[in-house]
Amino acid sequence: MSKQTVAPSGPAEIVVDGVTHTYTPARGRPVKALESISLKVQQGEFLALLGPSGCGKSTLLYLMGGFLPVEQGTITVDGRPVVGPGPDRGIVFQHFALYPWKTVRQNILYGLEKQRLARAEREARADRFIRMVHLSGFDDSYPSQLSGGMKQRVALARTLAMDPAILLMDEPFGALDAQTRSLMQEELLAILANTPKTVVFVTHDVQEALLMADRIAVMSARPGRIKQIVEVDDMGRGSERMRAPTFAAQVERLWGLVRDEALRAQGTEMSGPAEP
Amino acid sequence: MGVINRYFPLVLLVGAWEAASRTGLVDPSVLPSFSSVAIALWHMLIDPDLYHNAAASMVRLIGGLGLAVPVGVALGIGMARSNAVRTIINPLVQAIYPMPKSALIPVMIMWLGLGQAAKIALIFLGCLLPIVLSAYNAARGVDLVLIWSAQNAGASRGELLREIILPAAMPEILAGIRTALALSFVLLVSAEFLMARDGLGYMIAFLGEGGVYNSMFAAVIIVTALGFFADRLYLAFMRRVLVWRE
Amino acid sequence: MAASKTTIWARLLHAVSSVASLVVALLAWEILARAHVVSAFLLPRLSDVLVRIFTDSLSGQLFVDTGLTVWRSLAGFAFAGVFGVLIGLMLTRNWLVRWFFDPILSVGLPAPKIAFLPVFILWFGLFDTAKILMAGFAAIFPVIAASAAGAAGVDKFLVWSARSAGASERQVLGEIILPAALPEILTALQVALPICLIVTIVSEMTMGGDGLGASMLNAARFADSVGVFSGIVEVAITGIVLIKLLELVRRRLLRWHQETQ
Repeated sequence: MSKQTVAPSGPAEIVVDGVTHTYTPARGRPVKALESISLKVQQGEFLALLGPSGCGKSTLLYLMGGFLPVEQGTITVDGRPVVGPGPDRGIVFQHFALYPWKTVRQNILYGLEKQRLARAEREARADRFIRMVHLSGFDDSYPSQLSGGMKQRVALARTLAMDPAILLMDEPFGALDAQTRSLMQEELLAILANTPKTVVFVTHDVQEALLMADRIAVMSARPGRIKQIVEVDDMGRGSERMRAPTFAAQVERLWGLVRDEALRAQGTEMSGPAEP
Repeated sequence: MGVINRYFPLVLLVGAWEAASRTGLVDPSVLPSFSSVAIALWHMLIDPDLYHNAAASMVRLIGGLGLAVPVGVALGIGMARSNAVRTIINPLVQAIYPMPKSALIPVMIMWLGLGQAAKIALIFLGCLLPIVLSAYNAARGVDLVLIWSAQNAGASRGELLREIILPAAMPEILAGIRTALALSFVLLVSAEFLMARDGLGYMIAFLGEGGVYNSMFAAVIIVTALGFFADRLYLAFMRRVLVWRE
Repeated sequence: MAASKTTIWARLLHAVSSVASLVVALLAWEILARAHVVSAFLLPRLSDVLVRIFTDSLSGQLFVDTGLTVWRSLAGFAFAGVFGVLIGLMLTRNWLVRWFFDPILSVGLPAPKIAFLPVFILWFGLFDTAKILMAGFAAIFPVIAASAAGAAGVDKFLVWSARSAGASERQVLGEIILPAALPEILTALQVALPICLIVTIVSEMTMGGDGLGASMLNAARFADSVGVFSGIVEVAITGIVLIKLLELVRRRLLRWHQETQ
């Protein structure tokens, strides 16, 4: 896959048109992961991909990221088709994906070295982002010495330091305990308030989607389709949304949309006869 | 001081050995007393002859292993990253894998005679396979998300190989090299029994044939100690390189 | 049905490609040898080698040699296996045994045990006993280490369940710990077998007499390159057969384990 380079110039829009994705596991028949996905992620918006396990939401994210080839349909970023991974679409993984042999600082510097930035600029950026995620003093620590929350903050800093126009996040707080998760959600929103980006955020947590997103794309069980796109009422940012009067009702409504799909996904997972 | 406690049973063993010899429990022509072996050992250590032989042995070992490591790692990673390489090399690896490498000794004698090249070639070929296999498994097992993160950052194919795959595979590769190190000692000694006119293995065989048993036992002790300390040194080196592990 | 047809072709192609380079290598061997690109002394023809193997099997020499080598290797393997597992398990149960064997293992594992061959020759002469004990001695160290590690790694809750059910110390060892540690022990045995084969061959080469190693070395001494190469092929095949047999045993013994599912 070739490199995709783009001049960082503010958030970009992503257009997904008629994307279908099938994969063939090592043993067995081909599985259709996504079916005719079409959606548009607007510049600067925070879009959550919400759905049950196995619905293909991560697959869609990886297609946007250029890690999987688009075989049917098209995905374009600011009009240009996606042909491979690149620093314009920064990705953050659920299990951090930190390079264990590099220190915190070296992890963050890596993407900057790839972009061939001048030494002074690289170091300055690394400093800034380490500070931004509140990890000053841990520059020379190795990932094995950090807690889960700290590792995720390094992962976030590493991706943000590349100044991508788009942020692709694959259940980034899923591996953290509930308290750390809440804190990280706040931190992410604070960072985005300062440097707006287009964000595609995969989650299976209804409440998390409502706390973070502008719009939520609800996906069906496999093969994943866009069941409905929900506009989130204007309720302020982050945890203050929880205090909004309509919050509970929205959670209820959203969960209603997801619940059937979740049940359906569970049924296919266990692949036994349906209970009477 | 934990070291003394750890190795104390060896002292007991030596004590039992000496006691058995002194009380006539063992025939001294079959098992010389530890004291006579110790004296022979001392004489050996102050004799430059030992160091000539040791040097000859080490040249072979380091030559063979030193070649096997880069070639093996390159082949193993190449197999993991390139389907073409794997299709070509894999059947050959599968065919050679179950063959005991010591069976190559007669071939080496025929092809390369009794010179240095023969022994280095033997050690090289013998150690190649474990290194190829561990490099292959290690490179295959690199976490996909690490590769994707690097690609996300814009790494080229070459950069991916050098900066991500190689470091990520390093723990397992170093473990494979540790195995190869032990194997290289075995091949070295075997080769020196059969196709050498100097070296530590040759020394042991020569002393045995000459009936100088206390020196023979001393030489065996020296070789055993060498293998042990080489391994310890390598472990320390490994720990240094892999300092990022918990 | 159409789907399974394509996969048959795919599987055929896969099977062919997996041996393709080997076949090519063998063909190249025959062609190079015939073309006298390299002297017949260095690289005898594959066909000559195969003929030699055939004639050796007719005369029975092949079976004598192979049989002896296999017998010695397996005897040493049995020695290493039985005593190695016993000692390894004892290490986890008895702190004294552990304290005593720990430095012996620590020094013994990385050391080239083959260096002791002249010692075994001195003690047991130039016959089978020396070869078998040498192989056993060389292979026992990894078996002890892996058995101890496997037994130590057994989930303590399994042991507690058995104890609360009233199992004695010996029963726990034999009925709980041994099966639970079996995968790791079998892995060590799979390492021990090639060790026994390698060491036996070197012993045979050093001591002379008969056996695959001895006949190969003899062939080298008499510049009988066909003999040397046929020896290599015979040894390789012996190795493959023994390893495959052990793999089958492993699969049978570990039927219950998820790795076989």
